[in-house]
Amino acid sequence: MTGANRPWLLALPVLAVVGAFLVAPYLNIVLMSFRVPSTTQAYAPGFTLDNYAKSLFDWLYIEALLDTARLAVIVTVSCLILAYPVAFHLARTTSRWRGVLYSIVLSPLLVGVVIRSFGWIILLANNGVVNQALRSYDLPRMQLMYNEFGVILALVHIFLPFMILPLMGAIQGIDPRLEEAARSLGAGRGTVFRRVILPLSLPGIQSGCILVFILACGSYITPALLGAGRVHTTTTMVVQMLDQFLWPFGAALALTLALFGLIAVWVFTRLSGRAMRGMA
Amino acid sequence: MNDRVTSGRLALGCAIALVYIFLLLPIVIVVAASFNAGQGLKFPPDGFSLRWYVAFFTSEPFMDSLRLSLAVAVVATVASGVIGTTAALYYVRHAGRWREVFRIYVLAPLLLPEILTAIALLFFYYQIGLGTRTVVGLYIGHIVVCIPFVFLQVTAALYNLPPSTEEAARSLGAAPGVVFRRITLPLIKPGVINGALFAFIISFDNVSISLLLKGIGTTTLPMQVFDYLRWGFDPTTAAASTVSILMTLGAVVLVDRLVGLRTVRF
Amino acid sequence: MTRLSIERLEKRFDKVAAIRGVDLEVEEGELVSLLGPSGCGKTTTLRCVAGFEAPTAGEIRFDGEPVTRLPPEKRDIGMVFQNYALFPHMSVRENLAFGLEMRKVSPNDVATRLADVMSMVQLSGYDERFPRQLSGGQQQRVALARALVVEPRLLLLDEPLANLDAKLRDEMRFFIRSLQRRVGITTLYVTHDQAEAMVMSDRIVVMFDGLIHQVGDARTIYDHPATRQVASFIGSSNFFTGTVTGRDGALIRLDTSFGTVACGSGHEVTTGETATAMVRPETLELSPAGAEGGFSGTVGERHFLGNLTDYRVTMADGSVLQVQGSANAAFAPGEVVSVSLPAGRAWLVGEASA
Repeated sequence: MTGANRPWLLALPVLAVVGAFLVAPYLNIVLMSFRVPSTTQAYAPGFTLDNYAKSLFDWLYIEALLDTARLAVIVTVSCLILAYPVAFHLARTTSRWRGVLYSIVLSPLLVGVVIRSFGWIILLANNGVVNQALRSYDLPRMQLMYNEFGVILALVHIFLPFMILPLMGAIQGIDPRLEEAARSLGAGRGTVFRRVILPLSLPGIQSGCILVFILACGSYITPALLGAGRVHTTTTMVVQMLDQFLWPFGAALALTLALFGLIAVWVFTRLSGRAMRGMA
Repeated sequence: MNDRVTSGRLALGCAIALVYIFLLLPIVIVVAASFNAGQGLKFPPDGFSLRWYVAFFTSEPFMDSLRLSLAVAVVATVASGVIGTTAALYYVRHAGRWREVFRIYVLAPLLLPEILTAIALLFFYYQIGLGTRTVVGLYIGHIVVCIPFVFLQVTAALYNLPPSTEEAARSLGAAPGVVFRRITLPLIKPGVINGALFAFIISFDNVSISLLLKGIGTTTLPMQVFDYLRWGFDPTTAAASTVSILMTLGAVVLVDRLVGLRTVRF
Repeated sequence: MTRLSIERLEKRFDKVAAIRGVDLEVEEGELVSLLGPSGCGKTTTLRCVAGFEAPTAGEIRFDGEPVTRLPPEKRDIGMVFQNYALFPHMSVRENLAFGLEMRKVSPNDVATRLADVMSMVQLSGYDERFPRQLSGGQQQRVALARALVVEPRLLLLDEPLANLDAKLRDEMRFFIRSLQRRVGITTLYVTHDQAEAMVMSDRIVVMFDGLIHQVGDARTIYDHPATRQVASFIGSSNFFTGTVTGRDGALIRLDTSFGTVACGSGHEVTTGETATAMVRPETLELSPAGAEGGFSGTVGERHFLGNLTDYRVTMADGSVLQVQGSANAAFAPGEVVSVSLPAGRAWLVGEASA
């Protein structure tokens, strides 16, 4: 180790690997997105803006983008609603089961996305566990999969820990004496939550929402498995373009999605930032 | 405490319990399905059997993919372990004016959507003539996405090690190399091992990268499960999933024995 | 035994100057404190001597030979850090042996030297403990022993007592001082605590803003502070400004708005110049109104402090002086009193120069 004399040597491996296999490939797809598509080779000669024109103005792709966004928003809001009570309880509890509960929150992270999606397939399939249970009570069969419901349910499950953890961190950072102070001033439990806890946990809500929204926008495996070709998101369409060897268009579509995600996060940060200023 | 508050708390408690059940349900159901005797999935189940495990362990494609998954995960763990650790050392102890830029640069694989990274790598490999004829590209892809996890854990460990500890060693006559070997490395070891654990799990469970970068005719275990699921239901995949869960769990338990997981920072 | 010389030392971090030209000689076996508020450059000076910071300009010499470009491990120093910086993964014994191991001392010698140093810092029997199993005071002594066992040329201490509680801190002051005397090692001691510096040091270096304002023993610095900052940093003081009107032997006559004061001075002044003098509250004396040679004033506040009484006296010109007198002599608030100032106890303070 040459830490003292040539510290930049420590930075060299990461600069080289990430530079060659992340920065360069991304620059390459940016370039690729301006190429002329061709089905016989990677791209035809010349440059064009058509790929972006198509992904931004063709209704088919706009619809996929809007569907992706709607899906991501529903998943984010559902995660927030489910995560908050759990995060609050976990942040404040002194129960000796705390460790176990925390492990349960973390456990989905240790199990791959495919396996978790598989679990939902077993549960939700047309002849899956839920429908078999319904049949045994002579109840009508329900379409739980191969539609948005199944995709949303599985995505909520997959991203829930990413919402619980930042929320828990934020709530743990709130001094419990603030709650006591508010109650001593005559506020009821509900008021304390609305006026003290909720505003002070806004930073956690913000980072959790951004994380889940971005992850949901970029998810591919779960929509592919639980949607099975019947739920179209931008990511599933991009992968379709790859199969059809329309690389430049696929690249433009993927970058449009990434750009859209960034803009959405930026707008959200601005809006929630205003809300947080209001609380101060 | 009046009745209204108590019943409100009870309802909240139930809601929280339901979320925990929701979190565990699909994992439990996969494990349960792997022990089910019947061909299809029945509710209530058909009885206990290990036949799907036998099917899994005697299946040539599944065994091939398991071997590849382990090989990729081990290589990715070691390589990203070294790269992520050196990067963290540079960032915490030496980075100057560009430290925040450096941090974003190292975390970029985590910040960018994985599927997009996979697409970018796929195009890139074809452009430079590497293509997907070999599995080299797959290995590299896994290394890249694992680096941020090692970096984050080691960075946290280094922040807990005051620079004065290393300075004390130097004031006592230890050259920088000796300080690293005798002081820094032993003290950040838990962080390095936790980072390696993350890298192993991330690589072992990865599908987005493997989906596009696997070589022709080769596939990783999660990819094999993914492909089976696309074409219908086969309880062997449940056994494969359970084995995969057990291997991750095994890694976690091993690391917990080695360094104690309380040091992990999520 | 080593003589330390610091010559025209400067250190800039980016564009901020931490040290702006420091000159200092530390004699063999001497304990010199660097005293000043945080950010004054005392720690940076120490770290330059240790080799952890490379000076922007200037030279550091041990016994005349320049060490400025040597890395810390080649300087043969012993250093004690504010947080002790004990190696948490090593036992007390391993911590103490580390420096000897780096110097390739033979195992037999290591054993005897460890035994010696452990009894010296009263930690015999603690060999196999780990740092986290020790109290703050014990950790501090291990850190001291670890620095001393290698018999370094120079002992550097960076606020070693800052993390201890008040009572232990008092004990450790004497402990460190007597140990340093016994070993006879040249020592540079950084602190922001004036009492600590006064108890422990042969000489005190008072620093502000990257500059040395004064070097001297405790008495000199307290009685004859070189600058206004030194006077207000160490103890309490009253300041007043006036015009120099002439001399009375060694003393300088300063005309202030409440009367003429005879002041001592460490620097040259010319008649007609405006100057600032300081006087310590306990050197002022109160007597009933009309006493000879006093200045008239009115007692404002009075606070009983146990061993003495603290008064605020408003002078004829409206300025307020702090006066500390014996606990018994009681002057009531509102009482007109005479404030007298023994000749020479007022002292002209100057400006710092680089």
